[in-house]
Amino acid sequence: MGDRIKILTGNAHRELASEISDDLNLALGKAHVGKFSNGETSVMISESIRDMDVYIIQPTCNPNVNDNLMELLIMADAIRRASAHRITAVIPCFGYARQDKKDKSRAPITGKLVANLIETAGIDRVITMDLHASQIQGFFNIPVDNLYAEPQIIKYIRKYIPGEKVIVSPDAGGVKRAKSISDKLDADLAIIHKERKKANEVSGMILVGDVKDKVALIVDDMADTCGTLVSACEMLISKGATKVYALVTHGVLSGDAIQKLNESSLTELVITNTIPHAEKAAKCPKIKTINIAHTLSEAIRRTHHGESISSLFSDTK
Amino acid sequence: MSNNRLVILHGNAHPKLSKEIASCLNTEVGNALVSKFANSETQVIINESVRDVDLYIVQPTCNPSVNDYLMELLVMVDGAKRASAHRITAVVPFFGYARQSKKDKSRAPITCKLVANMMEAAGIDRVITMDLHSSQIQGFFNIPVENVYTEPLFVKYIKKKKKTEFLNQEFVIVSPGVGGVKRAKAISDKLESELAIIHRANKEMSLSLSSSFSFDIEETVLVGDVTGKIAIIIDDIADTCKTLKLASKALIKKGAIKVYALVTHGVFSNNAIDIINDSSITELVITDSIPNEHNKEKCPKLKIISIASVLSETMRRCHHGESVTSISK
Repeated sequence: MGDRIKILTGNAHRELASEISDDLNLALGKAHVGKFSNGETSVMISESIRDMDVYIIQPTCNPNVNDNLMELLIMADAIRRASAHRITAVIPCFGYARQDKKDKSRAPITGKLVANLIETAGIDRVITMDLHASQIQGFFNIPVDNLYAEPQIIKYIRKYIPGEKVIVSPDAGGVKRAKSISDKLDADLAIIHKERKKANEVSGMILVGDVKDKVALIVDDMADTCGTLVSACEMLISKGATKVYALVTHGVLSGDAIQKLNESSLTELVITNTIPHAEKAAKCPKIKTINIAHTLSEAIRRTHHGESISSLFSDTK
Repeated sequence: MSNNRLVILHGNAHPKLSKEIASCLNTEVGNALVSKFANSETQVIINESVRDVDLYIVQPTCNPSVNDYLMELLVMVDGAKRASAHRITAVVPFFGYARQSKKDKSRAPITCKLVANMMEAAGIDRVITMDLHSSQIQGFFNIPVENVYTEPLFVKYIKKKKKTEFLNQEFVIVSPGVGGVKRAKAISDKLESELAIIHRANKEMSLSLSSSFSFDIEETVLVGDVTGKIAIIIDDIADTCKTLKLASKALIKKGAIKVYALVTHGVFSNNAIDIINDSSITELVITDSIPNEHNKEKCPKLKIISIASVLSETMRRCHHGESVTSISK
């Protein structure tokens, strides 16, 4: 790599940033990011980044979404004022992505607000992964590269999950993702959809498609409280699935998700490392991790050299 | 009379202040739920119509969760904007990140400017704040910023003290740093009292005054006379309170009979309360720009002045398009 590129990281996911910079044969840039005693975020960039192509690695994820977002914004401000040539925010998991529409009267669209804040801070482009909805790219006035974990997930399925399979989308919104994977694996497709009685109460699940005597693979972009996931799993088992796996890009795993998973019939939950989760994985043997560091480092390398990114995802047959 | 109804909402930083302000304005706080999803994202639900209203969101961006409180404010503004509020005013009695207002080192951010940009990006039409750390911060915004001063409250407090406790005793207004001299002088002028300044000796000065190379990093220098007088320290922020303790110690050493401190914003990070309890300060007076009721129990020296009436009067005048400047007279 040339000497005009610099990788910096906040505190959200230092491990991923190290893997990415190792992939690129670069040392991680020197930056201190912490907090003053009064709770304000403090940022100090300790080496020159003048005229550099700077990449800030920072998922805006739990457990401190607002702190992680603020670190990213303040780092971008410091880097811009230090005369960097270009600033790219690498946000493997984009917090607030599900707050992307006015679902009730007087609701904010916080995903759009966050996009505005990112541009306001001086970020020139964004690299993210498996955005909850592709439309979020349209919230930005700057280029957004939405990478996909799909090739890695397909590779994992082929390598580790034997038997006749059916790809299951746990809701109507994710059918496109599930169909794309089922096409590439020459597997059947099934859909679970639900009528939602109250805001957080899931009931009345309906299965469309046949899972009898098959291995059911639930694919989704996010595993948060995992209530839906566990309910879907129980339904699939009751409908005759021999085993149920879940393959999810972002392992948010908030609340009592770990407990639910441990008590469920799910065989495995496969997530990528867009969000650090070593502590949670230690409490749940079912959790397996796909490493997406190389996908991100390759995207960064291509961005830096002005090469195509979409060709990263064009040959997964 | 404006056709746009006045509505007050608040986040989680300081609900008590909002209720007091609403009470001063003979109204109630509006209905909004501000919380967090399980994944720590901020969630805002506004439960009453804000269409075409003149909306005031009361939210200091203070410790212990500066970033969360800032985000609550921004998300509330976004929700209100999309719900067709006529005008949105952020009432931010304590402006977090205000001290990060200049590039003091190479490659430093100017986070206060970033925060100003974020507030405008969210859709805020104007800001009401109190005793900004530096007045230049108003220039960070492209929207109107009303910087309300606590000076009249402090002057009133000292005059009352003069009648009840100081009696015939002479007092002197003290600035604990070179940065705050202007503020202290304004108060000493109003009270027709003397002014003194405490500043830290810089290394060069200490070096030249001493034959050895060692010097006390905490050495303070007093300019002015406090002998036999009550010293009243005026400052805008009490954070770690180490400076306050050093200043009071120096003042007592130089002959002050008592030391009071009047500070606008009681941040009190780390073990500040212990430091105050151990110090020579007789009384530390702060406003309630930041909630501090919990600290009163730990520190009997702590007195809290309410700013609800000043803020509510400012809001009333903003709402009616009246002058705000004349509040200070």
